[in-house]
Amino acid sequence: MATVASPEAARRVQRLERVWRERPGLLGWLTTCDHKRIGILYLFTSLAFFAAGGVEALLVRTQLIRPDNGLLGPEKFDQMMTTHGVTMIFLFVIPISIGAFGNYLVPLMIGSRDMAFPRMNALSYWLFLASGIFIYTGLFLGHGPNAGWFDYVPLGSKQYDPGPNVDFYALGLIFNGVSSTAAAINFIVTIFKLRAPGMSLNRMPLFCYAFLAVSFALIFALPPLNVALGFLELDRRLGFHFFDVAHGGDALMWQHLFWIFGHPEVYIIILPAFGIATSIIPTFTRRKMVAFPLVALAEILVAFIGFGVWVHHMFATGLSSITLVYFAAASLIIVVPSGIQLFAWITTLNTGRPEFKTPLLFICGFIIFFLLGGLSGVMFAAIPFDQQLTDTYFVVAHFHFVIFGAAVFPILGGLYYWFPKVTGRMYHERTGQLSFWLAFTGTALTFFPMHIVGLLGMPRRVYTYPGGMGWSDYNLLESIGAYVLASGLFLIVANLLVSAFRGVRVGPDPWGGATLEWATSSPPPDYNFPVIPKVTSAYAMWDREDREEDARKLTRGDLVLERGHETPASTVLDADWDEILEMPSDSPWPITLAAAAAGVFAFLLLGHWLVAGVFGGLCLAVLAAWHRQEPQLA
Amino acid sequence: MTDTTRTAAASRRSLPNGVWGIALFIATEATLFGSLIASYFYLRFKHAGWPLGGIEPPKPALPLAITGALVLAIVPMFLASAAARRGSVGATARFVITALVVQAGYLVVQIVLFADDLSKFKPTTNAYGSVYFTLLGVDHFHVLIGILLSLWLLSRLATGLTNYRVVATRVISWYWYFASTVAVAVTLTQLSSSL
Amino acid sequence: MAGRPRLLVPIVCSTAFAGCGGGQSPLSPKSKPAHDISTLWWWMLAVASVVFLGAVFMITIAWLRRKREGLPYLGRRENVANGLVVVFGLLVPVAVLGVVFVIANLVVTKDTDAPAAGSTAMSIHVIGHQWFWEVRYQGTPAVTANEIHIPVRTRVDLAVNTADVIHSFWVPELNRKIDMIPGQTGRILLYADRPGQYRGQCAEFCGVQHAHMAMKVIAEPAATFRGWLANQSRPARAPTTPAQRLGRQTFLTTACSDCHTLRGTAARGVIGPDLTHLMSRSTLAALTIPNRPDELARWILDPQHVKPGNKMPGLKLDAAETRNLVDFLESLK
Repeated sequence: MATVASPEAARRVQRLERVWRERPGLLGWLTTCDHKRIGILYLFTSLAFFAAGGVEALLVRTQLIRPDNGLLGPEKFDQMMTTHGVTMIFLFVIPISIGAFGNYLVPLMIGSRDMAFPRMNALSYWLFLASGIFIYTGLFLGHGPNAGWFDYVPLGSKQYDPGPNVDFYALGLIFNGVSSTAAAINFIVTIFKLRAPGMSLNRMPLFCYAFLAVSFALIFALPPLNVALGFLELDRRLGFHFFDVAHGGDALMWQHLFWIFGHPEVYIIILPAFGIATSIIPTFTRRKMVAFPLVALAEILVAFIGFGVWVHHMFATGLSSITLVYFAAASLIIVVPSGIQLFAWITTLNTGRPEFKTPLLFICGFIIFFLLGGLSGVMFAAIPFDQQLTDTYFVVAHFHFVIFGAAVFPILGGLYYWFPKVTGRMYHERTGQLSFWLAFTGTALTFFPMHIVGLLGMPRRVYTYPGGMGWSDYNLLESIGAYVLASGLFLIVANLLVSAFRGVRVGPDPWGGATLEWATSSPPPDYNFPVIPKVTSAYAMWDREDREEDARKLTRGDLVLERGHETPASTVLDADWDEILEMPSDSPWPITLAAAAAGVFAFLLLGHWLVAGVFGGLCLAVLAAWHRQEPQLA
Repeated sequence: MTDTTRTAAASRRSLPNGVWGIALFIATEATLFGSLIASYFYLRFKHAGWPLGGIEPPKPALPLAITGALVLAIVPMFLASAAARRGSVGATARFVITALVVQAGYLVVQIVLFADDLSKFKPTTNAYGSVYFTLLGVDHFHVLIGILLSLWLLSRLATGLTNYRVVATRVISWYWYFASTVAVAVTLTQLSSSL
Repeated sequence: MAGRPRLLVPIVCSTAFAGCGGGQSPLSPKSKPAHDISTLWWWMLAVASVVFLGAVFMITIAWLRRKREGLPYLGRRENVANGLVVVFGLLVPVAVLGVVFVIANLVVTKDTDAPAAGSTAMSIHVIGHQWFWEVRYQGTPAVTANEIHIPVRTRVDLAVNTADVIHSFWVPELNRKIDMIPGQTGRILLYADRPGQYRGQCAEFCGVQHAHMAMKVIAEPAATFRGWLANQSRPARAPTTPAQRLGRQTFLTTACSDCHTLRGTAARGVIGPDLTHLMSRSTLAALTIPNRPDELARWILDPQHVKPGNKMPGLKLDAAETRNLVDFLESLK
């Protein structure tokens, strides 16, 4: 909403600007509860962890560039390999998807001024940052997690891993999980209650469906992990016997608990990417998504069925045939919703008039890599095939194609796509396209040969391998590919950084997007929209009359809500107007609570139980102070 | 309580955000307890004899009785929530205190039983001890948190009722509906080898 | 059906898989279970290739026809597009996946089941350790490590356990992998179509030297096998030269006997592999180095240099002691 016509409208906007102005300076950033600022914080922090995980990957690939290489000994390698996995999953891909993209865009897409719980939103960020620092402290002290990202017991038990490595892993992930749980609750309540009046559930963008599904998945997936990690720490530090066979425990119980979390986790990783893809495709093909209701249903089904397949990570453990067959069947069924989405995207591309700009190129790369990774995934649902190829480089290829190719490519495309909205400037298109081709080639070169070398019998998680196995040339190719990929990623960062300062300035809607973030200025004002937008379809930005009506509403004062820090709440299904919500502006309590929580985890790590308890009490005190500030109704 | 507060509480058609929030939090905690209980039974069915190591199964009478009392304390919490929505701060506080007396009594008895169990076997004795004490410990911790929440609520109610505190009363009531119900599941699991 | 993949294997192998003969490839099957899995793979690859190339084709068409709306021949009708999604996104996948399920998970999977009790001529028990394989022949005193001899074309029941963490027994040319999990016994069939050496490797991350925990299955004619087993069942050979006697003395009085067993002597250690017939094996340290006197000496004096993090401490021996010890070990045929 760039131009304001009447003096009445101007007065209202001025009032909004005054009420919603963010506190300036560093203190402003430390106490912010604004979803856009929190999204930016998440973005830079998760990109920093992406770089760290990338360095770890390059070290691993360089060690494996030739047989019997001596760059990294086994202890260092095991830490690099484990921390790479932990970083990429918990400190990069989830935070950037949910914390950066989700936080920044969901309130804008639903026509709201913030998330339902702005202070808890800030808390999620500070907890994430603290948990990442916690885990990396272990690495920098030479005690990084080293038993693999899934840390099977007994290897991860005190007897076989006596140092603090696994404690940094277990406590760090519990810490990190609180952040994600809080974020999930926030997204669900926001998407259910804060949609602009008129945006009934069937008019909600597909991006929001993906985030709704992912949030429900997080709610139900994280607790089994927390139980597993809790049991592990109790065994390690207090001598309990959950996983200790000699005293009645069971080693396989860890695997069950871990994978009951771990499988939904991979759908948690990919669902936001589906959301990004379903945002970019309509914009660049200039048409609505084919079979929208089927795609929305598919996004939800994937999250749901994902809870019923976890044993397919355990096909080689000697469980009974009937168990294996049931889970194999479920693992094949879950392919179907993904197939529906893939075909809907491809059909939309074919029936529209696609403009192959950089964001769409990354989505095409995503489609190809998701298909490749999905097809090898289907093969793993064939039990005997899995029993040969699990724990080889074939599975490393599979999951890197679905995680890197299919979850990260939309993120990279999304960075380009929403860059003009966040910065108000356009990136350099030619460089963008080059960066795509480098990243695409690098990804293909790094991960495709892994299928072959796995089929030639190379196991995973090996710090070296002998010559003469037929593996050496492929490993060399993969390592070269990793450097090509790194250069592509570097070019993306360079393009965006330079363009942030020197890019051509753009208006609110450079792409002709369909969703409401394109209705407001680039970057959006602190209050997002001067008027809560009118919504009558699922492609709100393409309804020109509604957007023109918004300008008139501004003069009338209809849904401007400028008397306080306000946004409307609506009913869950039909988004009928329900009440005005008063939002908190800034607060010192989220960062304080994260610091107190860090104290709890630090002293649990050190084994000072009482001091940890004191910090726990401090957390409760901070929570009490937090809730003393009651949002006032207008 | 101001008119605007009463109007807001009365005119709202959907659950307030806070209640949605606690409902989702309850979903995570229920899944947590589900995983703990599933682990208990997973370990149990790995072994022919249970409890392991000749440990005596717990006596059911007292745990069942006090858990029953905890469940009954749902009634005053429900009434507190209704009183808050009506705008009656005195009644709200009285109902919360009534429930609190039962809930605190429950926790005290459970702690005594816990200590008594500890004198007979330890979580470090074997896997039965580990899962038994962990399951109970996590449950009692949830009751303790509930008690702290109720105390905090009473301190806020002491200075009157606002829309925020009405929602807070509902939220904390929901927490207690969950904590009391899950205590039933935990108690039945704990006693599954005696019943 | 059997003929075509056999033709495909050398063609594809020689082009894409330059070096199929590393000896550890699931695609060089030497027994029925491995063969059936390999065939399954080639069929799945064919179907997957069709799907993949089809999608790439459609994206290419989208790029070529980017200035025009609608599908070729089918135009812009929305219900056609929706119908295509239902047919190719739902119905066709369900059909294909159904076929995959039946063939893979109801038929082929029976081949990889554990052998029925009592259906095999012999049983071998393998116990995984950090970082070697303890091999015991049921019903005999024979205990060896890392190199498993079996009679060719004979069904062998392999039972696996672990002494410490989770390992996984995997000889890809012969069968699937089976995890070795504390508190339970895994079982698979070991069977080789023809004589030869088949390399395997631990397939579950088990600590710092997971990468150097390999083993060999050696299938040989029945008579040869019986001779080998008879030798393995005997206690350690007595030393015949003074040097060997001195070497034996060193073995029994230093740390060696704390960890290793020499059947028929006082050395009864169980932390490291049984060395009774060390010279019957062609490699040391679970296929990490060849079994030659110079390598053996290097290993004894500095095992951490060869396999860093493994549990064997270096021995402080002078040149003469080393020579004698190696002489003694070289006599353990």
